[in-house]
Amino acid sequence: MTEAASNQWLRPWGRGFRDALMLPAWVVGLSLMGVGTLARDVGYPVEAAVLSTVLVWAGPSQVLFFASIAGGAAWSAIALAIGFASLRFLPMTVALLPLLRRPGQSVAQQMLLAHFVAVTAWVEALRRLPQIPPEQRVGYFLGFANALIAVSALTTYAGFHLAGVVPAPVAAGLLCLTPIFFLCSMTAGIRGLGDKVAIGLGLVLAPMAGWAIGGGFDLIVSGLVGGSLAFLVQRRRKAPETRG
Amino acid sequence: MTQPIALLDGPWWPYLALLLFAVLPTEIWRWLAVAFARRLDERSPWLEWVRLVATALLAGVVAKLVLAAPGALAGVPLAVRLAALATAVTVVLIDRRKVMLAVILGEIVLIGGAWLPG
Repeated sequence: MTEAASNQWLRPWGRGFRDALMLPAWVVGLSLMGVGTLARDVGYPVEAAVLSTVLVWAGPSQVLFFASIAGGAAWSAIALAIGFASLRFLPMTVALLPLLRRPGQSVAQQMLLAHFVAVTAWVEALRRLPQIPPEQRVGYFLGFANALIAVSALTTYAGFHLAGVVPAPVAAGLLCLTPIFFLCSMTAGIRGLGDKVAIGLGLVLAPMAGWAIGGGFDLIVSGLVGGSLAFLVQRRRKAPETRG
Repeated sequence: MTQPIALLDGPWWPYLALLLFAVLPTEIWRWLAVAFARRLDERSPWLEWVRLVATALLAGVVAKLVLAAPGALAGVPLAVRLAALATAVTVVLIDRRKVMLAVILGEIVLIGGAWLPG
């Protein structure tokens, strides 16, 4: 390993791994504990629960998967619901990849980087990467994401085995970690009026759309409407500043 | 409980189901993004729009997980679930570095509220 390679890969990877262990990895890990609990409820093996964390790597998808099986939903409906709930990864990944872009990066490398996109890695990467030299970003991001997944795989395993032990209020607490954490990390990442409007409208519109449109399309519609309105509000406010 | 597809049932069914109905519909969007992202500049206003749509979508997921709660969470009164969220967000709004504290306080409200006799 040359000095340059070490500076570009190993050190940023280690720094990313360490930064994630400072806090975010434990919070995500806690939020995925409930997935192990849900998997056990539907009689799936602990290996399937842990694999869902490593391969799906999306709390809402994993929760939808196991909770829908418990509810007896059709397989096509489960896949459709997860597909729609995960559509957010398209814009999220599109927004993140330019920060990680390097000359000569292959499609396979980008697909690997894209796999790690999930709420926390995304929110934290958007916040941290701009302050890191471009040639160190990929290493840092991989280290950060690897720590998140490693800790989460362990907590999913723990959640599976804790399920039979903890009382119902604690089990409810485990399941509520995901939404509480999502909302907190989004609130902590607010950069302007647009973000506030997007969060507020998303919270209000999704239940309304769920009631008016029904399962499947409601999240997409509320996201598109809420996000677009937030975008317009932000543009309108920024316009005089940039011109003046 | 959703039963396995008879034709494909067997000891590997949970893994097959996971791959087909959870991994694939999730991962496909990350892959599609790779195809799109190449042609985009990170400062383009289009990306700002995309980021805000993703943020609104995510807020929507939170609302749905709390309102149409899964498993044991459904047994907790809605007012307690909302109070837990409100507590956590208030902490982050006061100091945005205190995400862990916010999550812990939100959880205390939720578990405490669930434990109190209705």
